[in-house]
Amino acid sequence: MSPVIELAALTKRFGAVTALDGIDARVTGDVIGLLGPNGAGKSTLLKCLLGVLAFEGSARVLGLSSAQNGAEIRDRVGYMPEQEASVFGLDAVQLCAFVGELSGLPRAEAIQRAHVALDHVGFDDKRYQPIESYSTGQKQRVKLAQALVHSPELLFLDEPTSGLHPRARDEMLALVAELPRRCSCTVVLSTHLLPDVERVCDHAIIMHRGRVRFVGTVDELRRGGRAFAVEVRDDAERLAGALASAGATCRVGSPTKLAVELPGDATTALVFDKAHELGLQIRSLDVERETIEAAFLRMIGATA
Amino acid sequence: MSEPAGIIRDLGYERYAGSRRAPSKRWRVLARQQIASAWQPWWQYKTAIAIAVIVTAVFGGLMYFFTDSSMFRGFRWVSNLPMTMSDGAVPASLQWFRRAAFVVSTATAATTIAGDRESGAFALYVARSTRPVDYIVGKVAAMLVLVGSITIIGPLFLALLRLGLFDDTTVLVAHLWIVPKVLAVGALTTITYAIVPLACSALFATRAQALAVWAAYWLVACSIVALLGALTSSWFAAFDPASALDSIIDQLFGLHMVRRVRFPLDLAVGSIVVHVTVALAIISICVRRAHRRGFGDA
Repeated sequence: MSPVIELAALTKRFGAVTALDGIDARVTGDVIGLLGPNGAGKSTLLKCLLGVLAFEGSARVLGLSSAQNGAEIRDRVGYMPEQEASVFGLDAVQLCAFVGELSGLPRAEAIQRAHVALDHVGFDDKRYQPIESYSTGQKQRVKLAQALVHSPELLFLDEPTSGLHPRARDEMLALVAELPRRCSCTVVLSTHLLPDVERVCDHAIIMHRGRVRFVGTVDELRRGGRAFAVEVRDDAERLAGALASAGATCRVGSPTKLAVELPGDATTALVFDKAHELGLQIRSLDVERETIEAAFLRMIGATA
Repeated sequence: MSEPAGIIRDLGYERYAGSRRAPSKRWRVLARQQIASAWQPWWQYKTAIAIAVIVTAVFGGLMYFFTDSSMFRGFRWVSNLPMTMSDGAVPASLQWFRRAAFVVSTATAATTIAGDRESGAFALYVARSTRPVDYIVGKVAAMLVLVGSITIIGPLFLALLRLGLFDDTTVLVAHLWIVPKVLAVGALTTITYAIVPLACSALFATRAQALAVWAAYWLVACSIVALLGALTSSWFAAFDPASALDSIIDQLFGLHMVRRVRFPLDLAVGSIVVHVTVALAIISICVRRAHRRGFGDA
């Protein structure tokens, strides 16, 4: 699969502040989570990818250079902003048709596709009422529809579940998860809500302080710690000490249980070998899947 | 809107594979949308059109039915000779068309860019291939069409009516100058009433602020300047665009208006040019800044 986004030594400075610090990444996937705390550089990265901001290094989106083909990229990319975004006085159909025309669609095609996009996000009634009268959930759907109207190949969604109540959030995430199949587009989901990523994303990018800390699948992220839950017959403390001296990270939970994170290329054989050396009997050894929150904290905590 | 969770309707979404409008022509989309938005509520463009139609009908009627009657008090030729209704109706109507233009300026131009900032529309523009120059050209073009249709079409109709009232072709030809003069005044009025309020709207982040400042500037500050100019009989009044336009009308049509400051034509035109140039600079700076801040927190 060819990468949708390729970054090489991407650097963006605002005066003395380095917002993006030599980022290298090749990103593939259907729904990609872009994670990071506030100020991590997510929005700056999106602006660079869309060719809105000048930068050093190289960034390619859908095979096009962001520095040289920004306008062409923006015609092929959809963007759903986090904050409210509409035009006063327009209803949902008018807004979607208007932005479709701004993306270069002929007027008749833009109007037709506005209806299709609104249907696609499940927006039936009220589409002819002014957007100012919509609820938060309805506004989010209209923002998603306007991002889809010009049939983008790549979709940037900035906090799409922000401010939604649980049911509307479920519906929005269901829509997002279905987008690659229904619309044949790749989705980049920028969010700080880790459960959203866990639920719909297959790949993730973690950013922190202007640097990329992780690029890969969500499964790789969650088992990246190579963590195991070990139960011994007795004296977990001794086994933890021996494993720690071999480079593992251990946390003793009870006299018979400990959590082990193996170092480098070590395998579970290390645990059995050490137990054998100490004359300890291992009762069970289970893979301990990290929560995505724990994986995220581990990624940004390593350098925090 | 009340679909159950996870239910997605598929009405045949397919990728668009046809041709796209060239990016350099997309300002037309913005211009057309702006004109359409101004047309929708009755209190914006429609009200201004209604005023312009009434002004045209009243002054056309005065010209037609009271051709040789004396013009209103205060209207005289620069030679101090009295003016007939047929001669004075066209220049006298111009300030009334300006009032109609003020309605469009206030209801539309003075709030449009601030409205886009307030509603977050710039996020939509930035994420597409809309450059700041496309946005500016689109908005300015729309305002020129809206204001120009008020300040040019009506006066032009009255000028042609005036020419039609001449019985003698030789006299008619001798008075053809009225058409380019009406067009010149219409053009200067149009750029003033389209671009200056647009700059006001670019300066502020909400429509209410922009509207308040525009009204304060035009109705209060400019009136004070005009009053001071009239009291001191000085060119100081040229700082007021409306006074500058009055002075241009007086000199182009050879009028002598009592209680109206008269200053050189080049100074009056210069005042309009400076106002419009400063306004365009403000629009350019503010729109580029809004474009840079279009989305995200960076």
